[in-house]
Amino acid sequence: MRSPNIAGRTYTLMVWTPILPGREEDLRSTLDGLDRTRSPLLRVPRTHMARWLIVAGMPVPPGTKAQDPLGGPFLLFTSNFDGDVDSYLHELCELMADEAAAIWSHCVGCPRPPEGAALKAYLHRNQVDAGFTFAAYRDASVQQIRTALDKRERLIDFAVRAQDMEPATRRTAFLEEFGSA
Amino acid sequence: MNLPAVAPDAPPSNVAGRTTSITLFTTQKWWGRFFMPFMFTASRAVPKTLDAMDRLSFISFASWTLIRELPYNGPPQTVRRLRYPHLFFEVSFNGSWAQYIDSSVRVLTTGMFSFWSSSRTFPGPLPASPFQRFFKSHEIDTSHYYCAYPDATVTIVRSALALEERLDMFAHRAQNIPEAAFDGAWDAFLEDAQRFL
Repeated sequence: MRSPNIAGRTYTLMVWTPILPGREEDLRSTLDGLDRTRSPLLRVPRTHMARWLIVAGMPVPPGTKAQDPLGGPFLLFTSNFDGDVDSYLHELCELMADEAAAIWSHCVGCPRPPEGAALKAYLHRNQVDAGFTFAAYRDASVQQIRTALDKRERLIDFAVRAQDMEPATRRTAFLEEFGSA
Repeated sequence: MNLPAVAPDAPPSNVAGRTTSITLFTTQKWWGRFFMPFMFTASRAVPKTLDAMDRLSFISFASWTLIRELPYNGPPQTVRRLRYPHLFFEVSFNGSWAQYIDSSVRVLTTGMFSFWSSSRTFPGPLPASPFQRFFKSHEIDTSHYYCAYPDATVTIVRSALALEERLDMFAHRAQNIPEAAFDGAWDAFLEDAQRFL
């Protein structure tokens, strides 16, 4: 049976790592300090969506006593990306090596130094399989989506410009813009 | 169903452009440990169960996982096996938090029962207000959220993908269209393409 982590060509990764005692606030500062508009994940081009969050404890259902102490906070990283997990983790550890080291160095069991194949193996070891996943663009990669969005923008722009063009030049201008689309 | 692009009513760390994230953990009733794995298997086996979610056209990614134990890394980590199973849910969508809940409970009412009925204190999907409170009380904010195409809604991405196919075909065909006939072909192409613009 197909992996529960896969929907179309998209893989859903979930990594749980315990945070070292006393390091939760440092880690929170590290994550808060990541550029939100130029996220380091931009450098890992197969990533559709990803998030880091700190799970200090499982939310307790209101009105119940169903507390479930984790013994300490955990860092949860999830990502929806194209392709296989092995090469993705490699890219994550190489293409945003500084940030990956700064983040996971706050976690229990993280290799020292937190980099390369050792960090990749650590993340792999802490992966939890998803139960069920949904992806709206099942077969479209990040690159295909970005290319399609770019062409759509260019076509809108061209359609406006084409209104003022001489009929004789419209075809040439179109082929210049989209001939090798 | 398309939601209007509105300023999301979620903490900034849960938002990337027009995309919002929700991350949720709900404690399971005793039978959830058997029921949820069955639900996951059934949903994977019958992809039609996703049709309603697909039609909503504002959810880009979602996943559900039953967490019973956590990876163990040795001391000082103390907990490995959890006292209760917990349902982990994450979703990325366009629009506001309230719109997401409201539209989901109205369109996915049956699915909501299927996926949430084994969670403790689940109030049922309708009316929406108790369900909103249920969601809110089980949510954990993200610290850093990333989206590769933050300004594109699900509808725009799907339109762009459909349009690209048509544009590439027309561009290929246009190379053989005489100059005098191009305007007519261009107008016909635009008429067909305008639903994707």
